[in-house]
Amino acid sequence: MIEIGHFAAFLAFAASLFQSWYGLRGHRNMAASGAYAALLLMALAFSFLVVAFIQSDFSVKLVGDHSHTLKPLFYKIAGTWGNHEGSMALWCLVTIGFAVGGALRLKTGRAVFEAKAIGVQGVIATGSLAYLLFASNPFLRLNPAPLQGSGLNPVLQDPALAIHPPMLYLGYVGFSFVFALAAAGLLQGRVDRNWARAVRPFVLAAWVPLTLGIALGSYWAYYELGWGGWWFWDPVENASLMPWLIGTALLHSIIVTEKRGGFAAWTVLLAVLAFCFSILGAFLVRSGILTSVHAFAIDPLRGSLLLGGLLAYGGAALALFAWRAPALKGGPDWQMISREGALMLNNLVFAVATATVLLGTMFPLLAEMTGRQMSVGVPYFNATFVPIMAGLLVALPLVQAWSWGRAIPKYIWKRSVIIGAVAGVLILFALGFGGLPLGAALGVALGVWLLYGAGSELLRRAITPSRIFKLPARVWGMSLAHAGIGLFVIGAVVETSARYEQTLALTAGQSANLAGWEITLEGVETSEGPNWYSDRGILIASKGASKAILRPETRYYPAAQMPTTETAIHKTAFGDLYAALGDRRSVDGVTRWTFRVYFNPLIDLIFLGTLLMALGGCFAIFGKKVRIAEEASHLPEGQLPEEDVPEDKPIITAGAPASVVEVEE
Amino acid sequence: MMRWLSLLLIPFLMAFDTPLEDAKAEARAKALMEEIRCVACENEPISQSGADIAGDMRLRVREMIADGATDREVRDWFAGRYGEFVLFRPSTKGVSGQVLWGLPFGLLLIGAFGLWLVHRRGKAESEIVAVSPDAFDADHDKETEA
Repeated sequence: MIEIGHFAAFLAFAASLFQSWYGLRGHRNMAASGAYAALLLMALAFSFLVVAFIQSDFSVKLVGDHSHTLKPLFYKIAGTWGNHEGSMALWCLVTIGFAVGGALRLKTGRAVFEAKAIGVQGVIATGSLAYLLFASNPFLRLNPAPLQGSGLNPVLQDPALAIHPPMLYLGYVGFSFVFALAAAGLLQGRVDRNWARAVRPFVLAAWVPLTLGIALGSYWAYYELGWGGWWFWDPVENASLMPWLIGTALLHSIIVTEKRGGFAAWTVLLAVLAFCFSILGAFLVRSGILTSVHAFAIDPLRGSLLLGGLLAYGGAALALFAWRAPALKGGPDWQMISREGALMLNNLVFAVATATVLLGTMFPLLAEMTGRQMSVGVPYFNATFVPIMAGLLVALPLVQAWSWGRAIPKYIWKRSVIIGAVAGVLILFALGFGGLPLGAALGVALGVWLLYGAGSELLRRAITPSRIFKLPARVWGMSLAHAGIGLFVIGAVVETSARYEQTLALTAGQSANLAGWEITLEGVETSEGPNWYSDRGILIASKGASKAILRPETRYYPAAQMPTTETAIHKTAFGDLYAALGDRRSVDGVTRWTFRVYFNPLIDLIFLGTLLMALGGCFAIFGKKVRIAEEASHLPEGQLPEEDVPEDKPIITAGAPASVVEVEE
Repeated sequence: MMRWLSLLLIPFLMAFDTPLEDAKAEARAKALMEEIRCVACENEPISQSGADIAGDMRLRVREMIADGATDREVRDWFAGRYGEFVLFRPSTKGVSGQVLWGLPFGLLLIGAFGLWLVHRRGKAESEIVAVSPDAFDADHDKETEA
């Protein structure tokens, strides 16, 4: 009954138009009802699509092209968005979902502003639905219906990859709502502290799933591709990294807007850019301009429509920005050496890092237009992006204690000396430890330093350790995220510089040595799954008392006529022993199997660190706003109470751990 | 997708990788293999490719290193043979090379300088009040909508 779904999608389109019209005219209730209706209708349309996939209704063209009766149920459902049209339907659903989220959660007391935000989101939803219905319609029939579907790309038959696209979409589309909020703020000419306070949770609501989505994609690449790597600076990866970088800059800049009213124009610009980079990412991936697994829509019409949409929405927003931004008010004055200055540094570095990724990703495409074929890969990003970001991370533990307005010099120096000494010891320690090369030792020291910085910031804010758990959730969120970066840096540096890899060619019963492990091939067996059969190697790995069995596979999917690698991973406290099955070779009547075996030290820290960042983001979203004791605001800033205060400790007002006024003696 | 197909199609021909005896030379060869693109695959360095041409290319890298070639000579040889497309480390030569390699750092410097210039128009130090990060929440909560 896909026609009902098709019809519901048209009605959702009408409801979105309704929502846009009333929203932009400032009628909050009408716009909200439009959004509710659109969500109901689009959810209905989408569920009909899901049902068609569950029932393997091959008379629906999309199902026929992308599903198969032998596929497990979970992947039939995931198959709904494992293709271009279905993923666009999901995109529309999430876009409308964010409008409803806004209608329910926005409580700024500015009804017209909220109406306009919902209205702008309605315009985005209308555009997405128009693209869905007129350029990539998932609801079309196929006559005659095939008896069997052509199967999902078997590479995508994987739990991480089933959730990876919806997560990325939550992130991308989340930024579309942040964009709508920015546009509404500009339309009203009010981008102030209350605006920032209302918008910040939505920035996080986009940033957290985007972070998780990228991490899932990376983890998938690690265990599925069989090369032991986790980030390849592939254009498709870069396409999702760019909105993340801009989103991270936005996350920091909006704090200045919320707390001080400053950076208003810049924050709005970042909000616009985060959305533009999200669409750019979708364009790069979907248009097929970058040939890769993800480019399942090699269709220039769709590419140009997406590009047109990007130019239309982005251009309109930038024009609005140019018109309204000069009128936005700034916050109180500040010195370079201050919290504002530190966050400005953060934003400068993140903006430059984004530009670097953009440059490296687009340069080969631009060169190709002039007839030149070239590649920009890992060595380029390692030599540009990495040192630029590392510079910022070096500064982070130092500058995060700086006060708004101006940092107090005495504390800066005291802190710098302590931290410098800590860092020096760490570097020396890392150099002596494990014989790491200089660059890697510096990297490990940087990671440990970031962990130390996150911990020391918690302590500094809590003043006494016993109060550390009474700190506001957003302080915890910040420290968790920064600690996550520390773990990530340690994992990334150690994994990249100390990874051990070897290709082994073994006959049954033969052994080889690798990184202290003795690896014996027991044999290679064949096995069968619902829609695949496989060769499965059985490797016994032993090191001292510990013993592990690794079963790397090569799976063949007859429906798709395509093999995939299923790696075997044995986790230890210090890293993963990782094996991928290669091919069979017969030389002089002796059959050998090749295996690529890796030891990936501390690789889990990379994913753990990313999870910690996302968790920090969740803390910052869901943390209750701590009401602060009245006394705090009565204490005149800069005035010292009578009692003796330890010189490095900020002064506190009794009973109000969160309200801390830093005073110079 | 070619990655898996190539595994299936050409499994029996792959030249088996024999590491160089000298560990330092082998490390250099491995590093170079990370930077040289397999010409039969999609966006993969030869160090990761199962295609037989990648095996030949790896062999060539090891041979050149063993013959005492420098990293640059190896890169130049591959670029000459297969085109600069084959190098994941783009050339720094020419205007485009300078733009590509210089722009990130240029932007950082220009951005920092520009922000400093704009910022200099601030107030005198004594008029700026230092406020520790959390103190602001108090009056923010009391703020009412105008």
